[in-house]
Amino acid sequence: MYTSAGPPARPPFWDLRAWRAMYPGMWAWVLQRLSAVVLLILFPFHVLNPYKTWLRAAVLALVILHGMHGLKVILTDFGFPARHQRKLLLGLTVFGVAGFFWLAYLRKATWGFF
Amino acid sequence: MAASGVIFRIRRGSGADDPNERFQAYAITPRPRMTVLDALTAIQSRQDATLGFRYSCRVGMCGTCALRVNGRPRWACRTRLDGLGESITLEPLTNFPVLRDLAVDMDPFFDKMTRVRGWAEPSREAAEVPTQISPLGRERGQIDPHIECITCGICYSACTMVGHEPAFLGPAALNRGYTLVCDSREMGGAERLAELAGEDGVWRCHSQFNCTEACPKGISPATAIHALKRRATASGTRGFVSALLEGRAPSGERAQGD
Repeated sequence: MYTSAGPPARPPFWDLRAWRAMYPGMWAWVLQRLSAVVLLILFPFHVLNPYKTWLRAAVLALVILHGMHGLKVILTDFGFPARHQRKLLLGLTVFGVAGFFWLAYLRKATWGFF
Repeated sequence: MAASGVIFRIRRGSGADDPNERFQAYAITPRPRMTVLDALTAIQSRQDATLGFRYSCRVGMCGTCALRVNGRPRWACRTRLDGLGESITLEPLTNFPVLRDLAVDMDPFFDKMTRVRGWAEPSREAAEVPTQISPLGRERGQIDPHIECITCGICYSACTMVGHEPAFLGPAALNRGYTLVCDSREMGGAERLAELAGEDGVWRCHSQFNCTEACPKGISPATAIHALKRRATASGTRGFVSALLEGRAPSGERAQGD
C-alpha cells in the first residue's frame, strides 16, 4: 500500500527525535564542552562576588563535571578499555555527585545546605 | 510492536543537494521476527519497485545493508522490527555521498583504507618463512579484538569527527591500521604509523566513542585509536630525545614507527 509522503527533512533540533541518535559518550563530550563555556561565563561573577551560595555551588558542580569527563578521557587515553567507557562514565558520575555533596557538606555552615 | 501495521518513513532521493529529496511513507504488516531488510524487500517487491537500497548476504556477514534506523546506524538484516516502534525512519548512512535512496557511495571510506595501506606488507623474511604468532602472545592479544571488521561503514557513519572533517581517516581505517602496526611480520610500520598519526589521523579523534557504541561486531575502534596515540607519542618522544642527545635540532617530522 502506497500511503503518503512524510515531512521533507530531518527533525529540527528542538524535536527530541533529533537527539535520540546520540550515544552516552557523545552526551558526555557535549556536556564537557558546554560546562567549559558556562564556567568561563560564571567565573568572573564568582571572582567578583565569591559569597553567593548558588554561584559557588554552580561553579563547584561545573568544575567537578568538567574534571570528571576530563579524567575519563585521560583514563581511556592511557589504556582504560574504551568498550567499557559507559561504566567508566557512570562510575565517575557517581563519584562526582558524591564529591559535590561531600564538599557541600563540609561547607554547610556557610552554604546553608543540609 | 503493534500487529496491525508499521509505517516506514524512508528518505528518498540522492542526497541533500537533490531538490526532490523527501521522506516517503510505506505501511506494512509485520511478520514475527521480521527484520528491517525483510521489510525493505517486501516494500520493494509489493509497493514500490523504484526504492533503492543495497544488501548481499542477509545474515550479518557482509555489512552491505548498513543504513540508519531511527537515526542510528545499523545493519538492516540484523535489526528486527520488535522494539522499533510503530513508526520507523530509515535513512542512508551519514558521512557518505548518497547514490540513491538508502544506497551510499562507499568510495571515500575505502579510499581511507588505501591511505593507511590496509593490506599485508610482510617483510622479506616473513614472506619466505612461515611466521608463527603465538595465540596466547601479547601481539595476538593486541590484534585479535580488532581483526573482525567487515568494513560495513557503520563506525564511519557514527563518527561526528568524520562529518566535521571529511579528510579524517575515520575509525575503520585507523582500526585496520592498528592491527597492521601491531603485526611484527609487517615491514611498513614506520610509514603506516606516520600516516595514522598524521594530519588526518588519530589526533582528530575527540574520544566520543560513537564508533565503539555503534559497531555491530563489538569492535572498539576507539581503543585502537587510543593505542595508536600512545604509540605515536612514545615514538615521537623517543625521536625528540635522541635528536637532543645527538646534538641536532629535532626535525619536527611526524611520528615514526617502532
